[in-house]
Amino acid sequence: MKSITPYLLKFAAAAIILTTIFRFCLSYTIEHGLVAMIIISAALYGGLMALAGWHFGKQDGEYLPIFDVGFRFHLTTFLIHVGISELWFAAGFQSRFEKVQVIHITALIWLVFLLIHFFFYLYARKKSINGLNRNDLFE
Amino acid sequence: MTTEEKLQELLSSWEETYKKGQLTLWIFLALKEEQKYVDEIKRFVEEQSNHTMTCEEQSLYRVLRKFEHVGIVDHELQKGNKGPDRKYYFLTGLGQDLFNRFVSRNIHLFFSPSIKNLLNT
Repeated sequence: MKSITPYLLKFAAAAIILTTIFRFCLSYTIEHGLVAMIIISAALYGGLMALAGWHFGKQDGEYLPIFDVGFRFHLTTFLIHVGISELWFAAGFQSRFEKVQVIHITALIWLVFLLIHFFFYLYARKKSINGLNRNDLFE
Repeated sequence: MTTEEKLQELLSSWEETYKKGQLTLWIFLALKEEQKYVDEIKRFVEEQSNHTMTCEEQSLYRVLRKFEHVGIVDHELQKGNKGPDRKYYFLTGLGQDLFNRFVSRNIHLFFSPSIKNLLNT
C-alpha cells in the first residue's frame, strides 16, 4: 500500500519551508519584543499551512483518493513542526526568552489531538479496501 | 413533446444511469484481451462499445492508479515508438479472479435461455 504520494511529499516540502521561516520569525520577533509581529507571523504561518494542506490535499485526492480523513497530512504536519522546532533548539537558534519546555508541552497537547484523529482514521479504514473508499473504487 | 422525443429523453436518462459503473467492466475487457497502454485502452473501450462509452485519458489514469493500488492491475514499462517509455497495463492474478467471478455472477445470467429469449423478442 502506497501511502506516501507525490502530493504528500510536495506538502511536506512546503511545510518544511514554511515552518523554518516561521521558526526564524518567531525567535527573531520574541528576541526583539515585537509582539504584533509575533501574532502576525503566527497567523500567517497558520493560514499558509492551511492553504498548502487544502491545495495539496485536493490534488492528492484527485491523484489517488486515499480514505484517511486527512490523517496522513496531519501526521506529516505534526512531525515536521515538532521536528524542526526541536532541531531549532538543539542548534541553539532560539531566542533568549524561549524555553524548550514550551515545545515539549505543545507537542504533548498536539499528540492528544493527533491520537483522537488516529482513532477516526482507524474507523475510516474499516470502510476501505487497501485504504481506498470501497464506494469510490470502481467507476 | 412527441412520443419519439419523449422516448429519446427517457432512453438518454436510462443510459446515463446504466453507464455509471460500466467503465470498470470495459477496462477489464480491454486488459483481458492483452496488455495495453492507456491510449489503446481508450480506443478499445470507445470502439468496442460502438462509441456509447467515452473516457478521458486522465480519468483512465486515475482509475488505473486505484486498481494498481488495490493490486488488481499492474504495469510494466516498454519502449514506445518515440518519446518516453509507455506503461503497459495488465490484469494481475487477483484481477483475473475478480473479473471471472464478476462475470459469472453478473454477466452470465444474460446468457441463460429464458433471458436470451426475452432479449430477442
